[in-house]
Amino acid sequence: MPNTKDYIYLDNAATSLPKPPGVAEAVAGAICRAGNPGRSGHALSIGSARDLFTARERLAELFGFRDSSRFVFTENATGALNQAIKGLLRSGDHVVTTSVEHNSVMRPLRRLESAGVSVTVVPADATGTVDAAGMIAAIRPETRLLAVTHASNVAGAVQPVETIVRAAHARGVFSLIDAAQTAGAFPIDLSTLPVDLLAAAGHKGLLGPQGTGFLFVREGVPLVPLIEGGTGSRSEDDHQPDFYPDCLESGTPNSVGIAGLSVALAWLLKKGVDGIRAKEVALVSELLEGMRRIRGAIVYGPEDPSKRGCALSFNIEGADPGEVGRRLEREAGILLRAGLHCAPNAHRTLGTFPQGTVRVSPGPFTTRREIGKFLSAVKRIAAG
Amino acid sequence: MGRSECPEVVLIFRGTHQVLSAEKALKRGGVGVRLIPVPRRLTSDCGLAVRLPEPTLALALETLRAVPLTPASVHRLLATGEYEEVLF
Repeated sequence: MPNTKDYIYLDNAATSLPKPPGVAEAVAGAICRAGNPGRSGHALSIGSARDLFTARERLAELFGFRDSSRFVFTENATGALNQAIKGLLRSGDHVVTTSVEHNSVMRPLRRLESAGVSVTVVPADATGTVDAAGMIAAIRPETRLLAVTHASNVAGAVQPVETIVRAAHARGVFSLIDAAQTAGAFPIDLSTLPVDLLAAAGHKGLLGPQGTGFLFVREGVPLVPLIEGGTGSRSEDDHQPDFYPDCLESGTPNSVGIAGLSVALAWLLKKGVDGIRAKEVALVSELLEGMRRIRGAIVYGPEDPSKRGCALSFNIEGADPGEVGRRLEREAGILLRAGLHCAPNAHRTLGTFPQGTVRVSPGPFTTRREIGKFLSAVKRIAAG
Repeated sequence: MGRSECPEVVLIFRGTHQVLSAEKALKRGGVGVRLIPVPRRLTSDCGLAVRLPEPTLALALETLRAVPLTPASVHRLLATGEYEEVLF
């Protein structure tokens, strides 16, 4: 495995690197001592259960929600989104979503279309931003869910989730936010934002290990579990428990990964998400400013850095994005992602389908010096 | 597990998360608790239960109400080793 110190890592929208101090040690420690949480009464089982409990409590604190039992651990954001979408929607239901969703939202919805669910995809504008009024206007009497990403993983555009969620709430329609690109990087307060379901990965902005994620489920949302089985609770009953988090957490969880996630969450709580957001806005501002000066560089998404997440997509006129990505790695040791980023509709919206874009995404450990090196490398490549 | 001279009670909850929430609240509230495997005589659950001295039960229940948390059931451990349900 290459040493990350040999590279400039700018692929945090895919997975964050490096992780905060202590995360790797927590994972290594847990793999040596994690018993099966909640399944036995011995010390190592209880210790592992405490790790999960602590991580859940930290999630609740980070997102401003009192009851940590409503945060269900999943293997990633995709698992959380599948549970939310397939656990809620039934034949005859209607769902409103946007043209900038990731395939982890669109593919479950397309699957459900064949089961009698109707889907309205509201187009975003040329910057990848959806109009809240358009989402609200698409609501019908049979609309069950409004599903929207918090920030596009392609254009980086932050969506008007607060307006959308409040409108859904006022109309008795459930709302789902895909916070894969924003959890840990944007302040999200679930005590004031009346969203019903919020899904996120543990390995992106939350800075934990891969194989972790969560789904927040507000009280009163009637989710049917996708997976049923052993929970360590109510073992005398062969029916799935109806209480949280057990009803949506069957089978042995990723205790090892969650132990690492817990340390990452503690780091985020100590640093403060507001500070991380401010730093990342400053880095994206530098990126935008620098890219504007590069002849032949086309940047997608909003011009205002405060309306963007950390993902910034671009192309070099006449160049294949995959080749640009390869040259950045080979010539400057810069690691990022090129292609469609699992969101084909977002590229259709931006006019970058099927070739895709090059996506650069700094993280909380990215330095201004690294941004400067990246801009210099892009300038060299654009010059031919 | 040996029994202390002070009578003890066992609190049963719905799932491990509730048990650990109760433990956290009770420790913060100054109530000494121990986690034990759920006694098989009470349920066939494979999870955990909270055990505490009976004289602290009233304070414990008041502390839990503030969370809010309600045990599924409470049981007094008798000298015979049997359990007697405590209504609360």
